[in-house]
This record gives sequence, C-alpha cells and structure tokens, in this order.
Amino acid sequence: MIETVLFWVLAAASVASALGVVALRSPVGSVMALLAAMLATAGLYALMGAPVLALFQVIVYIGAVLVLFLFVVMLLDLKGTTARGRPSARAAAAGAAGIGLTAAAAWGAWKGFSQAAPVGGLRPAPGISEIAIDLFGRHLLVFELTSVLLLAAAVGAVFVSRTKKRRPS
Amino acid sequence: MSLEHVVGLGIVLFAIGAAGFFVRSNALVLLLCVELMLNAVNLILAGFSRYLHGTDGQVFVFMIMTVAAAEAAVGLAILVALCRLLGTLDMSRINILKG
Repeated sequence: MIETVLFWVLAAASVASALGVVALRSPVGSVMALLAAMLATAGLYALMGAPVLALFQVIVYIGAVLVLFLFVVMLLDLKGTTARGRPSARAAAAGAAGIGLTAAAAWGAWKGFSQAAPVGGLRPAPGISEIAIDLFGRHLLVFELTSVLLLAAAVGAVFVSRTKKRRPS
Repeated sequence: MSLEHVVGLGIVLFAIGAAGFFVRSNALVLLLCVELMLNAVNLILAGFSRYLHGTDGQVFVFMIMTVAAAEAAVGLAILVALCRLLGTLDMSRINILKG
C-alpha cells in the first residue's frame, strides 16, 4: 500500500520535473529540474530494491554530471544566446514527431512484451554481492573496456576544449 | 507497482526527453534531454532487473551511467569550444556544416 503511494508520488515528481527540463526558459532552471528528476529516479530505484543503483545515481549523475553541467552554464555567459521566439507550429510538429517516434518504438516493444512468458510473482531483489559477482565475473571485459572509454573521454574533452597558444612573433 | 507501471513511466519520460530534444534549440538543453532519455532507459532496465530477478539489468545500468558521464564530458567540451568559436549555442543559428 505504502509502496504504491510512494511509486505514484515519485512518478508524478519525475514527470513534472522532466516537463520542467523541457519547458523552463533558463538553462540553470533546466539543470535544476533535471536534478529533481534524477532524485525522483533515485527514489524509484530504492523503492525497487536496488539501493546500489540509487547511490550510483546520486553520486555519478547528481554529483558529477549535473555539477559539470552547472559549471558550464556558469562558465559560458549564456545571456542572449537563448532563442526568444514563442512556440511555433514547427516546434509543435517537432515535439509531436518525438512523441510519435517514442510511441512507435513502445508499440513494437509492447507487442513483443505481450508475447513473452508471464513474469510471475515478485521475488527478492538481487543483492549487492550477486551484482558484484556478475559484474566482475561475466562482464569483466566490458568493465575493463569502460575504463578505457573513460580515459579516452577525458583526453578527448581536454583536447577539444584546449585554447590555442599564440606564438610570440 | 508492477512491471507495466515502471515500463510505462519510463516510456513517458523518454517521450518527454525526445520531444524536448526536437523542440528546444539551446544546445545545452539538448544535452540535458539526452540525459533524460538515458535516465528513462535506466529506469526500464532496473525495472526488468527487479521483476525478472536478474543482475544483468543493473549491470547494464552501470554501463549506461558510465557512458552517459563520458558523453556529458565530451559533449560539454564541444559546447565550450562551439560557444567560444561562434558566440552562440542556439542550434537554429549554427549552420556552419551547411554546404
């Protein structure tokens, strides 16, 4: 009972803040709304019996990614760079196209979903030790490759955002 | 709360992110919408992991979080370079790839 109530509260919060990401005019407001959406999603993870995911969500997404976004928003003076136009018919059509694409993908997934075997009752969620054994056992190669990806991303980010030093002539 | 509820919520969040990606023209908000879509997919994967009692879903979520962090770092570096070069982040005004 309490689980259902919590689910609906968190779902409403995440949808409302996701709408805020799209609708808010200032980039700082959008980042803050995304922060609220991430927090609501972390709550949903905890509700679903995945506290590790909830922790990672808070540490990685909110602690690292969103802070990076905030840094960039503060770093770039974005005044006057946002479009001031009111929503046009073109924007409405673009939004409808996005929702339609998602609906088409969801419809295809739902057709496969309805043919799948029924899920059955709820069993205890996998614990952290099972996840760790799986991550460092079967998925060890992928795990190691991710570290290479992160290194490449770090080097690439530094390379892209470097400033050219003018040589004294 | 059933699996259908979680998947439905994920689809709604993904649709909001996709619509926002097409509607907004600020490049920074576009990156935020991409993060929103990745978040929705993470939610669906975690839901399946919960209801199928597998660890694969949560491992996938870890990988997606890593890729999202890398994508944010590189994407924001590109945005900083773009803003320094052109002085704007309005995607409707950036058309330097147009031949």
